[in-house]
Amino acid sequence: MLVRLPPLALALLALPTAHGENPKPIDFARDVKPIFAAHCVSCHGAEKQRAGLRLDRRAEALKGGDTGPAFVPGKPAESLIYKLVTHADADQRMPPKKPALGAAEVNTLREWIAQGAKWPDDGSAAANPADWWSFKPVARAAVPAGAHPVDHFVRAKLKEKGLAPSPEADKRTLIRRLYFDLIGLPPTAEEVEAFEKDARANAYELLVDKLLASPQYGERWARHWLDVVHFGETHGYDKDKPRPNAWPYRDYVIRALNADKPYARFLQEQIAGDVLFPGTVDGIEALGFLAAGPWDFIGHAEVPESKIDGKVARHLDRDDFVSNTMGTFVGLTVHCAQCHNHKFDPISQEDYYKLQAVFAAIDRTDKIYDADPKTAARRAELEAQKRGANERIAALSAKARATAGAELAALETQLAEATKPASAPKPAEFGYHSLIAPTADLTKWVQIDLQDSQQIERVLLKPCDDDFNNIGAGFGFPVRFKIEVSDDAGFKTATVIADETATDFPRPGMTAYASAKGAKGRYVRVTATKLAPRQNDFIFALAELEALDATGKNLARGKPVSALDSIEAGPRWRKSNLTDGLAAPGPKLSAPELAKLTERRDSLMNKALGATGAADIAAARKAANDAESELGKLAGARRTAYIGAVHTGGGNFVGTGGKGGEPRPIHLLARGDVTKPLTEVQPGAITALPGVKGTFTLPATHAEGERRAALAKWITDANHPLTYRVMANRVWQYHFGRGIVDTPNDFGKMGQLPTHPELLDYLAAELRDHQSVKRLHKLILTSATYKQQSTSIAANAKVDGDNRCMWRQNRRKLEAEAVRDSILSVAGKLDLTAGGPSFQDFVVEKPEHSPHYQYHLYDPEDAKAHRRAVYRFVVRSKQQPFMAALDCADPSLAVEKRNETQTPQQALALLNNRLALAMAKHFAARAEQLGTTDAERVSAALRLALGRAPTVAERDALTKYAREHGLANACRVILNLNEFVFVD
Amino acid sequence: MNRREFLFHSGGGLGGVALAALLGADSARADGGVHHKPKAKRVVQLFMAGGASHVDLFDYKPELVKRHGQVANFGEHVEAFQNGLGPWLKPLWEFKAYGKSGKMISETVSPLGDVIDEMAFVHNVIGKTGVHSQGTLLQTTGFNRPGFPGMGCWVSYGLGTLNANLPAFVVLPDHRGLASNGTKNWDSAFLAAQHQGVAIYPGTKTPVEDLFPDERAKFVTPASDKAAIDLLTQLNREHATARPGDARLEARIKSYELAANMQLAAPEALDISKETKETLKLYGLDHGKGTFDKDINPVEEADHFGRKCLVARRLLERGVRFVQIWSGNDNGFPRRNWDSHEDVKRDHGPLAYGMARGAAALIADLKRTGLLEDTIVLWTTEFGRMPSSQGGKGRDHNPYCFTNWLAGGGIKGGVTYGPSDDFGYKPADRKNPTEVYDIHATILYLLGINHTKLTVRNNGIDRRLTDVHGHVINDLIR
Repeated sequence: MLVRLPPLALALLALPTAHGENPKPIDFARDVKPIFAAHCVSCHGAEKQRAGLRLDRRAEALKGGDTGPAFVPGKPAESLIYKLVTHADADQRMPPKKPALGAAEVNTLREWIAQGAKWPDDGSAAANPADWWSFKPVARAAVPAGAHPVDHFVRAKLKEKGLAPSPEADKRTLIRRLYFDLIGLPPTAEEVEAFEKDARANAYELLVDKLLASPQYGERWARHWLDVVHFGETHGYDKDKPRPNAWPYRDYVIRALNADKPYARFLQEQIAGDVLFPGTVDGIEALGFLAAGPWDFIGHAEVPESKIDGKVARHLDRDDFVSNTMGTFVGLTVHCAQCHNHKFDPISQEDYYKLQAVFAAIDRTDKIYDADPKTAARRAELEAQKRGANERIAALSAKARATAGAELAALETQLAEATKPASAPKPAEFGYHSLIAPTADLTKWVQIDLQDSQQIERVLLKPCDDDFNNIGAGFGFPVRFKIEVSDDAGFKTATVIADETATDFPRPGMTAYASAKGAKGRYVRVTATKLAPRQNDFIFALAELEALDATGKNLARGKPVSALDSIEAGPRWRKSNLTDGLAAPGPKLSAPELAKLTERRDSLMNKALGATGAADIAAARKAANDAESELGKLAGARRTAYIGAVHTGGGNFVGTGGKGGEPRPIHLLARGDVTKPLTEVQPGAITALPGVKGTFTLPATHAEGERRAALAKWITDANHPLTYRVMANRVWQYHFGRGIVDTPNDFGKMGQLPTHPELLDYLAAELRDHQSVKRLHKLILTSATYKQQSTSIAANAKVDGDNRCMWRQNRRKLEAEAVRDSILSVAGKLDLTAGGPSFQDFVVEKPEHSPHYQYHLYDPEDAKAHRRAVYRFVVRSKQQPFMAALDCADPSLAVEKRNETQTPQQALALLNNRLALAMAKHFAARAEQLGTTDAERVSAALRLALGRAPTVAERDALTKYAREHGLANACRVILNLNEFVFVD
Repeated sequence: MNRREFLFHSGGGLGGVALAALLGADSARADGGVHHKPKAKRVVQLFMAGGASHVDLFDYKPELVKRHGQVANFGEHVEAFQNGLGPWLKPLWEFKAYGKSGKMISETVSPLGDVIDEMAFVHNVIGKTGVHSQGTLLQTTGFNRPGFPGMGCWVSYGLGTLNANLPAFVVLPDHRGLASNGTKNWDSAFLAAQHQGVAIYPGTKTPVEDLFPDERAKFVTPASDKAAIDLLTQLNREHATARPGDARLEARIKSYELAANMQLAAPEALDISKETKETLKLYGLDHGKGTFDKDINPVEEADHFGRKCLVARRLLERGVRFVQIWSGNDNGFPRRNWDSHEDVKRDHGPLAYGMARGAAALIADLKRTGLLEDTIVLWTTEFGRMPSSQGGKGRDHNPYCFTNWLAGGGIKGGVTYGPSDDFGYKPADRKNPTEVYDIHATILYLLGINHTKLTVRNNGIDRRLTDVHGHVINDLIR
């Protein structure tokens, strides 16, 4: 806040003071502190620090605020605080919008400053924000030989509190607990029985090993990770567009967990895999971490960066990168330092913006890459070949230019002009697009009905331009095709006016194809006999078909179009686009004209270069063309993943790709306001964190990725006090239902203290030193602490009702995914197919504008949706109602820990939801086969669902109910049992 | 830490939250407030998706009439959402004075003239950006990015339910689809799921998700359903008895009982067939039409909005705490929302009339039943629209100034607070605008809640509906 001193205040200051020359001594605590407390601290205190000023603690108060010291000892007239409280202009006066200080208060303040502004030490200067348990080095305490480390620390605490541990749970309980914990699925009745009978001493350990090695382990634990990183497959916000290529990140997490990838590498790949592990698929797909969160499509695509709203959107976006990275990996709430220094933790506002600078070049974007390293190598080779050839052409051309006359120069200008991409915007109506085919050799056709038989001089085919997979100009143009004219709509007889079916037609770019001749007829048909390659599949697409008469009039304009098939995804793709007169602008000259100019240029150039030079340039041109055509063949081999990277694509949104990925300048923002930039900051991490160096030493001309790499290395530094503690705590939390630190995303001063600090450090050290999450699991799972019964013991509960000391295991309620997967599993319908694009258990209406995700229109019998819930397509704007009722994670926020509710809506979902009921029926059909009487069947059903035989009372009650209402209803009851959703 | 906080924090999946769910209406004070004696118990929020034009509806600007067609000189650079601000554009409808207060409102919202003296207008509300998603979230959740609970969630969290057989927070979305951000506008985010807005589509086959068995499952009958709940209770109780000290198990048994109650209570609450002819007429539901024209029209809009308002009254009567009614869906074509870039008259005409008819009926009906005394009605939108034209007949977004109005529940009627400038471009007093935090703080105050004290710790921050802002607007309070 800037202050202009009004004349009136100056006049007031000049007056003699009320107390005259003999002022009574002011006592800060008695006289001044209450004034600050009453008038100032609500805006300049612990809660808020307006203008960067705090008046509740000596150290900060003496330092002053954004505009300098608040008071000058001995000089009230020069003290900002005094000037402001006595300001004549009510709009400038402090406190704002409130009555001015009373005369006595003003006098006290003035006297206090005049007497030297003495503020007794309150210890605030000595308070070191970095002095906090979680910022100290991880220390592995010694464990007596033979003792299990987990039990050693837990028992010590129990002893301290006078609590006794609970006995070990029975084997049935243990196997169910382990199955749900590690793979999120129930054991079969046979598996339970086998384990119960397994008398080997290490049977339990073997089971742990088996489950950790199961592919379902990664699926289960990836879901925990996806909660924390707020992974979603639509943008959220307005229009909520889908991200069809977000799934590779989900698969990456599953793969990495199953492979027990070293934890540091797992982290590094997610922040800077492209830089630290170049040439690997994981190094790219892991970057989906950065792109996991929501994206304001309109704020980015419709509002440019130059506007305030555009700046706000991009600021929020970078904030998401920063918060996600720091919350997930180091458990710090850095986003609190956006408007001011962090109130509790040693994070300065500058640190926060330095972290923003780390991500200043990247955006969320579809990245195209080769999954097969051989293809990638081949592509790199071809691109190098093309580049080399083009360089040779350029060098030879330059040489030619030096000797050739003005005509060559003029021709080159003319050619450059004619082939320059048009600046006119591309229409939203791209064209006609066939259904997608699995192979290239399917025949597809599209045709125009001119309404009556007319003389056509020639037919023009205009290619499409789409950003999909960087195929761009010429997207979907058939590789082999023919054009026919006929008076028969079925084309039993027809005149062929163009035939390109014998050899591959090179990709035309944006140059229109013209038939050499014409014919008379009512219908014009284009038949593709070899389809254009896309990513792993094949299509046929055209922007516009023109049938020109002798005067050049387009007879096809606005005429009806039919086709063998069409994806009909308007407005971009639909049949009617083929005759709507809209096509992306192509080159300004026709192909023959262009060829003529090129020929003339070549001949001039060849003359200037001489025979050897001419041969050289011809060879270079051929090499460039060959490389181009070979590259075209690789187009279909590419894969796409939605990741955080430099955005290079087209469309309205502009990233930093056009500037070669140069990071946007990041400024410290006064109070987080994008319209108030202060100094520019350089990339860095948190500087005050002990043990790790938060300042990056990057060369002045570094590439943007080096920033991310530096941050990744900072986080994974073996001395980092937080990284390994945070992950060890997460692993513990998912095994016990509560972390050792109960605020897993906040290890700062507002977070909870660890219940077992030495245990946490021991686990963190294990993870740091061995880098193995699976080893950590095993350490925890083999403890007596984990194997305890979950039954409450009244005497213990009196001392520690929340079980913070771990005197028993916690009974766990299954999460939405585990409930859903279990229902499918016991119904015998669970499809364990792993990986790939997500299944969609909704129907999309109005995809062209704002997609409506309609879950209620989905058929629960469609087996596509019977895969594990981790493969469900996660929509942000409308959560899956069944999963939401069961407290699934909201992909719009970092979910460190699931909420857990028992609501009537949840009961209704499990009772009545289409999927639950469809599965109850299948479950019954399965049970039907397992017995000949109702009693046998309900017993079998209960065994399938709960892994145990029913009690007599249960069997009788269920049998009676099944007899009256049928087995399907009885199975519905079983799926709603408390025991089905709670694990002891 | 109060009892609720304790329950929430000790919750984390270990019993507390379940207990809180069980307790239902567990207000901390006998008089129904949390921090002080409340003036209101319930809220209805009317939300105009797309950005309703304050200058065409409620904020009369004679200066625009006078300068209509002249080059718009704002006296400063104006950053519009889309480029191309045209000349000043006068209100699309005539304004007239109504009631004792003599408040001038537009002809297209004239039905509100009947209840004008119940209403308090705030003409100097400002937003943060002109982006639909952000504007919507800011007004619904107090934050311009997703991930925060809707206002109704906070009210449910703070005050609990008045009737456990119905959800505490009900949302009546536009029947044509959801607005920007979809359910993010009422999701509970980090609050527990029972505080989430429950979307209800009255008059449709499944007004509430999963209220009744999916119709494809023919094997479930009313008798099997009822017997199922009894059997579940019996088996679950045996299970719980063997596992003492876990309140969640009992809470889950109770939730099935509540579910069964809801199956009875919800259809009854949504059934308007027994309303009197007079009431139906009041809400514009007496038109006798079975079908409507394809083009947007006032009778149909009044029917849609009026039906929601009538259902809202029935829900409020039966103890629902917070009802949110939406007018307008996402930004598609043809326009079925308030985002009138092209033609204010075409979209605002029918939508505003429909809204005014329903809202006026709701206020009158609440007054008739005595509920208005402790029910707050809040009308809001994403942002306003520019006083100059866009493409001749439309208006661009104006996040710099727009109107809210409130009625009932301790609100002083007949008040106009916080004027906008002569054009409705920005607040007259630019230094002292009204923000959504102030509106939210005021409403929480009326409900007996100190907005700075209703907090929940999430990811290390004590979150509030009003973030770190908000002042109660005393001028609006009776």
